[in-house]
Amino acid sequence: MRVWLRTVGFLVVVGATLALPREQRAQAAPSLSERRVNPDHTLAIVVNRKNPIDNLSFNELRKIFLGERNHWSNGHRIAIAMLDYGPERRTVLRLIYRMDEASYQDALLRGMFRGDVFVAPKTLASPTILRKFVFNAPGAIGYLRLRDVNETVKVVRIDGLSPEDKGYRLQIDEPLDTKGSE
Amino acid sequence: MSATWCWEVQRRWMLANLGLALTLSVVFLLAPGALYSQQSETTVSVDARKMQELFDRIDELEASQKQLRERVAQLEKAQSVAQAVPAGSASGAAGSSSAPGGLQIAESSSKADAPKAEPPPTGQAEQSGGTGEPEHMDVSHTALNIRGFGDFGFYGGNQKGQTSSFSLGQTNLFITSTLSERVRFLTEMVFEVHQDNAFQTDLERVLLEGSLSDYLKVSGGRYHTAIGYYNTAYHHSTWFQTATERPYIFEYEDEGGILPIHMVGVQASGQIPSGKLGLHYVAEVGNGRTSNPVAEPVQNYVDENGHKAFNVAFFARPDAVPGLQTGFSVYRDVLSAPASPRITETITDVYAVLTRPRFEWLNEALMIRHTPAGGHDYVTPAFYTQISNRFGSYRPYLRYQYINASSNEPIFPQVGLRTGPSVGLRFDATESVALKLQYDYTFLRRTGPIDGKSCVQLSMCAPSAVAMQVDFKF
Repeated sequence: MRVWLRTVGFLVVVGATLALPREQRAQAAPSLSERRVNPDHTLAIVVNRKNPIDNLSFNELRKIFLGERNHWSNGHRIAIAMLDYGPERRTVLRLIYRMDEASYQDALLRGMFRGDVFVAPKTLASPTILRKFVFNAPGAIGYLRLRDVNETVKVVRIDGLSPEDKGYRLQIDEPLDTKGSE
Repeated sequence: MSATWCWEVQRRWMLANLGLALTLSVVFLLAPGALYSQQSETTVSVDARKMQELFDRIDELEASQKQLRERVAQLEKAQSVAQAVPAGSASGAAGSSSAPGGLQIAESSSKADAPKAEPPPTGQAEQSGGTGEPEHMDVSHTALNIRGFGDFGFYGGNQKGQTSSFSLGQTNLFITSTLSERVRFLTEMVFEVHQDNAFQTDLERVLLEGSLSDYLKVSGGRYHTAIGYYNTAYHHSTWFQTATERPYIFEYEDEGGILPIHMVGVQASGQIPSGKLGLHYVAEVGNGRTSNPVAEPVQNYVDENGHKAFNVAFFARPDAVPGLQTGFSVYRDVLSAPASPRITETITDVYAVLTRPRFEWLNEALMIRHTPAGGHDYVTPAFYTQISNRFGSYRPYLRYQYINASSNEPIFPQVGLRTGPSVGLRFDATESVALKLQYDYTFLRRTGPIDGKSCVQLSMCAPSAVAMQVDFKF
C-alpha cells in the first residue's frame, strides 16, 4: 500500500513539475498562435495617414459605410472607397452593409434620392488604386486585404482589435478571386 | 587520280575566296578612314559664327526642355491635388463612383484615373494637399450624375364619367452634381402629362446643399416639405414606393393633393447628439403654398403674403431597432384666400415606420387645422397604414387610408370623407423593371373629381378602381 502511495505521490509531484512550464508555455503560445493570421483572408480598414482616428466600433464603421456618419472628428468629409468587385467587396457588403449587391445598389440609390447619402462611395478598380486614393484623400476610408496594406495608409482597429488579433471580424470566408488582387 | 584532282579544285577555290575576303576586308577598313577624312575636311570648313549659332540653338533647346519638365511637374501636382479634392468629397455621387450606375456627363475622372504614381510615405502632407485642401469648382472635374425613373400603366374605375385609360406617369431625371467636398447640387426634372394630355416639364426639386458637419446641413431652393415621413422618403418616382400611388394625403398639389408638398425656401437639418437614440432635426422656412385655387400651387417666385411658412420636424432612428424611424413635425403658415379672411394653417404629423429590406410597415397620422380670423377651427384628421413583405421578387401589400374633412372646410371643401383599403402586388421582374397591380376600394361621402382633376392615377377618387403599372429606372 505504501508503495502505491509513494508511487502515486511521486507521479503527482513529477506531473505538477512538468505541468507548470507546460502551462506557462501554453500561456505564451496562444498569443503567438492568435497572431497568426492569413493576410489573404483578413480585411483591414484603412484611412489616410493624417486621420487621427485609431479605433472604430463596428457600429460606427457600419454607420460610416451606410452614409449615416459623414464627417471625421477633424472635420474632413468622409470619402468611402469601395473596390469594384471581388471577394473583398462581397465581404464588406455581407459583414458591414449586411446586403447583397442588388440591395446595396438599391439602398445607395434610395439614399441619394432621399438625401440621406450626400455622396456615393467611390468605386475603384484595384487595391493599388484604392490605396493611392486613400493616401491622397484626407477623409478617405476603404478596405484592403492585409497583404495589400503598406505604410502609405493607416490601419484602423475595429472594436479595439487590429487585423492581426484573434476575434477580428472582417475575414474573407470565400475562395479568393485573384482578379481583384494585385 | 580523281582524289588528287578534287583536292586541287578545293585548294584553288579556297585561295580564290581567301583573296576575295582579303580584298573586301581592305575595302571595309579603308572606307571609314576615307569617310572620316571627308568629314574632317567638312568640319574644317565651318566657321566660328556658325558654331556659335549651333551652341545657342542647343542652349535654347535645353531651356525649352527644362520648361517642359517644370510644366509637367506642375500638372502632376495639380492633378494630385485635384484628385484629392473630389476624393475628399467622396468623388461624388457624381464622381467616378459607383453611384448606383448613373450616367455621368463632363466626367474627367474615371476608375482608372487614380494617381499615376504612389508617392513615398514621407512628405505626405505636401503631396496630398494637407488638411486644408482647396474647395474649388473645376469645369473639368464637375460632373452631372443622372438617373432616370419612369412609369406608365392602365387605370380604370367606376367613378361617374371616368374612362379606362392607358396613361403615362412621370418621367423623372434625377440629377446630382458634387461641386466641392461639402456642396452639391440636386434637381429632379420631371416630364408629366395631365388631364389635357399635354406634356409639362417641372423642376420638382432644385436644391443647393451644403454639408457643414453631421449636425448641420443647409439647403436652399425648392424641396419637399418635411411634413411627416412619406413626403421626404418618396419623391417624384413610383419606383421606390411599394404601391402604385402615394397615399391620398400626400398627393402632389397639382394632382389634387391637400398638403403643401413642396416649399421654396431654406432648410437646415442634421443629427442631434443623442448616442444610440439617433435623433435628427429638420427646420424649414419658405413661401408656403398659395391659397388661390387657380394659381400655381407652389409659390416658386413670389409669395402672396409677407408671412413665411415654417416647419420643424424631429425624428429618431434608434440603433436598438434597425429600420425603425419615428418622429413628428409641425407646419405653420398663414393663407390669404380670395374673398376670405386670413386663415392660419397648422399641420401636425406623427409617424412610426419600420422599413427593412424585406418587411415594411408604415404608419402615419396627421391633423390639418385651418383657423379663419374671427372664425372657428376646421380640423381634418387623416391617416394611412401600409404593410408589406417581400417574398423573392414578389411583394404583396395592403394599405388603408382615411381622411375626413368638413364640408365647410375653407381650403379643400371638396374632399369630404374618403376611406378604404387598397391591396396590391409588386413584382420586380428585373433589377430595373417592376410590375404593380393594385385594387382600391374607397368609401366616398361625395363623388366627383378633386379640384376638377381627372381620376386617372389618383388614389381614393373612385369607389372602386384598378391600376396596372410598369415602373422602371434607367
